[in-house]
Amino acid sequence: MAAAARDWRLAPSAALLLVCLAGSARGAFHRQLSAKLNPGYSSLPPGGDLLHVRAVGVNDTLHYLFSSQGAPTLLLLHTDSASSDIQVNWTQFLARNTSGGLWVEPESSLQFSSALVFSRLLEYDDVNDTATPTSDLFPPYDLQNFTWSRLNLSGPAPTALLCGGVARGSLCLRLAVFGDEGRGQRWPRLLHSANSSQMEVWLDGVAPRSPRSRFLLELQTVGGAYLPSRVDVHRSIDDEFTPSIFQVSQWVSSAVDGSAVLGFVQWKPVAYRRSDPVLEDATPCRHSEPVPQSGAAAASSSALVRAFFATPHAVGLNVSFGLAGEPFYNGSGFLSWTLLVGVGSPPVDAFSPLVVGIMAVSLGTPMILLLLGGVCVCFRKRDGTNAGQAYEPIN
Amino acid sequence: MAEIEEQQSLLGAEEQQEEDAAPRGGGRPLAAICDPSRLPHRVVVLCFMCFLGFGSYFCYDNPAALQTQVIQDMNLNTAKFMQLYAWYSWPNVFLCFFGGFLLDRVFGIRLGTILFSLFVCVGQIIFAAGALANQFWVMEMGRFVFGIGGESLAVAQNTYAVNWFKGKELNLVFGLQLSMARLGSTVNMNIMGWVYSRVMDATGSPGHTTLGASLMIAAVTCLFSLFCAVVLGFLDKRAERILQKEEGKTGEVIQLTDVKNFPLSLWLIFIICVGYYVAVFPFIGLGQVFFIEKFNFSPAQARAVNSIVYIISAPASPLLGFMVDKTGRNVIWVIIAVVATLAAHMMLAFTFWNPWIAMSLLGVSYSLLACALWPMVAFVVPDHQLGTAYGFMQSIQNLGLALIAMAAGAILDTRGYLFLEVFFCACICIALMAVVALYFVDYLKGGHLNQSAGARARLQKESTPDAE
Repeated sequence: MAAAARDWRLAPSAALLLVCLAGSARGAFHRQLSAKLNPGYSSLPPGGDLLHVRAVGVNDTLHYLFSSQGAPTLLLLHTDSASSDIQVNWTQFLARNTSGGLWVEPESSLQFSSALVFSRLLEYDDVNDTATPTSDLFPPYDLQNFTWSRLNLSGPAPTALLCGGVARGSLCLRLAVFGDEGRGQRWPRLLHSANSSQMEVWLDGVAPRSPRSRFLLELQTVGGAYLPSRVDVHRSIDDEFTPSIFQVSQWVSSAVDGSAVLGFVQWKPVAYRRSDPVLEDATPCRHSEPVPQSGAAAASSSALVRAFFATPHAVGLNVSFGLAGEPFYNGSGFLSWTLLVGVGSPPVDAFSPLVVGIMAVSLGTPMILLLLGGVCVCFRKRDGTNAGQAYEPIN
Repeated sequence: MAEIEEQQSLLGAEEQQEEDAAPRGGGRPLAAICDPSRLPHRVVVLCFMCFLGFGSYFCYDNPAALQTQVIQDMNLNTAKFMQLYAWYSWPNVFLCFFGGFLLDRVFGIRLGTILFSLFVCVGQIIFAAGALANQFWVMEMGRFVFGIGGESLAVAQNTYAVNWFKGKELNLVFGLQLSMARLGSTVNMNIMGWVYSRVMDATGSPGHTTLGASLMIAAVTCLFSLFCAVVLGFLDKRAERILQKEEGKTGEVIQLTDVKNFPLSLWLIFIICVGYYVAVFPFIGLGQVFFIEKFNFSPAQARAVNSIVYIISAPASPLLGFMVDKTGRNVIWVIIAVVATLAAHMMLAFTFWNPWIAMSLLGVSYSLLACALWPMVAFVVPDHQLGTAYGFMQSIQNLGLALIAMAAGAILDTRGYLFLEVFFCACICIALMAVVALYFVDYLKGGHLNQSAGARARLQKESTPDAE
C-alpha cells in the first residue's frame, strides 16, 4: 500500500516532465536565417529598399521579401528546396510597369506565395462615439504615396524598421523574422513558429483631423491565383500572454479544394495606446469581412506585387481600432498593433508549463494527502482496534 | 467582510443572561409601539438595526461596482485599484481583536456604535472627496478610515441584536441582518453603474468629478446608517431607563496568550478560512471586468452576475445553516463547499460556460462554507477562548485579504485572468489540503467536528448529568 502511495506522489511530477519534454520537442524545429538588403544592387535604390530574408529549413526554404517601393509589402514565398534563391531584375523592378522583375530559382520549387500589402490608413470622426465608420471618413492616407525611411536592420533575429511620415507624425512597421519557435517580448506576446514572421505597426504622434478621431488600417493579401480566404475568430481561455484578450483572429488562405491551410495572417484583437503599455492601455480592435479587390490596383500600388505576380488576385479587409466608449486617438497619440504572417497553419497557444505545474501540484497534493491519510487510518484501525478507543472524550 | 455575523450567533450563546424584566409598575401603560418589552416596539428597533449596517455594506463594494470607471477616471492600473480593498482590510487586522474591547470597556455600545458609524460615514466622504479632488491617496485614506468603522460596526450591530432579542427572535434577527447585509451589497452592485451614468448625464462627461459625485451620493446611505445609530442609541437608552436593563456587551474577552495553546485543528480551520475567503472576495472585487472581457457581457449583465453570490447567500444562508445544524458532519460540509468552489473557479478559468452556472455554484458553496466552518471553532476551543479564537481568525482573514487583494491586482496586470484564476484555484486547494488534513486529524483524535447531529446530541446528553 505504501508503494502505491509513492507511485501516486510521482504522478504529477511525471506529468510535468512530459509537458516539458513536449515543449522542448516542439521547439526543436529550426531554420537558418540570412538577411540581405537590396540583393544584387550596388548602392541604395531610389524609392525604397528591398529586404530579402532567407529562412532555410531541412528540406524547404522560406523567402521573406519586404519592400517600401510603393505601399509597404511583405511577400512570403515557400519553396520545397533548401537551395532555392531569389533573383531580381532591378531595372524592371524599379520601373514598376511589368511583372517578372522578381522570381524564384528554381521556379518549380515554389509551393506557395502570398503578399501582404499595407495599403491605406483611414481616419474618421466618431462624433457620437459609436466606433462605426460609415460616411464620415476623412480622405484616406495612401501608404504608397508616403515618403518612407530607408530600412533599418538590427538584432540577432533579423528585424527591419520602416517609418513614413504622416500628418506631422509617423506610421512605422517593424518586421521580425524568426528561425525558432518563441514568443514576442512585448504585448500581445504572440506565439511564433519558425514558419512565421511578425509585423508590428504603430501610429505615433499623427495629428488627428478631429478631436474624436479613430483610425482604420486597410490590409490586402495578394496571391497569384484566387485562393479562398476567410477570417476565423477563435476564442481562447488562455490570456496569460495577452492579459484580458480571449480571442485570436486568423485570416487564412486555404487550398482551392479547401483541404489545407497554406498561409495565414494572425492577430489578437487588441491594440495598445502607449509604446510601453500597461493593461489599461489595451484597446480592442475589430476587422471587417475580407472582400475581393482589384488585383491591378494592388499591383500598381506595390512594386513587389507588380514584380512577382503575373495575375494578382487581391482580397482586402479593414482593421478598426477602438470600440464605442474607448478613448480616442488624441488621448495618447499612439496606437500599436501586431500581427503574425506565415505559411502553413497558424501557431496555437497552449498553457504555459507554469500554469500546468501549478494546477498539477495544487490538485495533486490534496489527492495525495487524502490517500496517505486513508492509508494511515487503515493502518491505525488494523494495528489495534482497541487503540482507537483508548481516547476518551475530554469533557 | 460579513463573516462576523456567523461568529456572533455563536457568541450569543455564551452571552451573559439578560434579565428580562417587565416594565416597572406604577407608570402609566405605554402604547405597544413605544413599549420596549412588547414585540411592535422591537420590530421598530429591528428596522433601525438592519439599516445600521446597510451603509457600510453598500459602500464596501463601491469600487467593485464602479471598477472600470474608477480605473479610467483615476488613471489607475488594477494593482492600484485593488489597494482600495487592501486599505479597507489593514485596520481590521488589528481591530478584530480590539473592536469588542472598545465597545465593552471604552465607549459602551451606544457611543461606540455612533462612533463607528461616524468612521464609516467620514471614511466614505473622504473616499468620495479624493475622487472629486483627483487625489488617489486621499481615496485610499478614505477606505482606511472606512475600514476602521466597517468591521467593528458589524460587531456593534450584533451586540445590539443579542441585547434586544436574546431568548426571543434572535436567530431570525441574525438571519435578517445577514440578508440585509447581502441586500446592501447587491443593491450597490446593480445600482452604482446607473447612478454614475445619471451623474454623467448631468455633468456632461465622465471623469473624476463624476466619480466623486457618484460616491458622494453613495455616502448618503452611510449618513442614513449614522442616523439609525443615533436613533438606536436613543431607543436603547430609553429602554434601559424603562426596563432597568444593562447596556449590551459583546462579552468578548481577548487573551492573546491563548494563541499558543490553540490546538492543531484550530490552525487548520484558520488556514481553510484564509485560503477560502481570499479566493472569493478579491475575485468579486475584480469580477465585473472579467465577465465583460472574457464572456462579452454588457456592464449591467456583468454587475448582475457578479452580485449573484450575494443574492444567493441572502436566502441560502439561513436554509443551509438549518441543514448543517440538523445533520452535523461539519467537516464533510466544508469539504463539499471547498470542492464546489474549486469547481466553480475551474469552470471560470478553463471554460466558456455561462458564468451564471459557476457564480451560482460559488454563491451556494460560499453560504454553505460560512454555515459549516465558523461554528467548528466552538467545538475545538473552550468557551473562554472563543473570543480570542474568532478575533484571531478574522484578523488573519483580513491580513490574507489585504495581501491577496494586492497580489491579485498585480497578477492580473501582468499575467491576465487565466493566471489569476489559476492562482485562486491554488488558494482554494490550500484550503482543501487543510480541510482534508483537518478531517484526519479530527478522526485520529476522536474529535467531534465530523459527528452527526444525533451523535452530538447524545454526547451532550451523556455529559450533562456529569456537569450538574
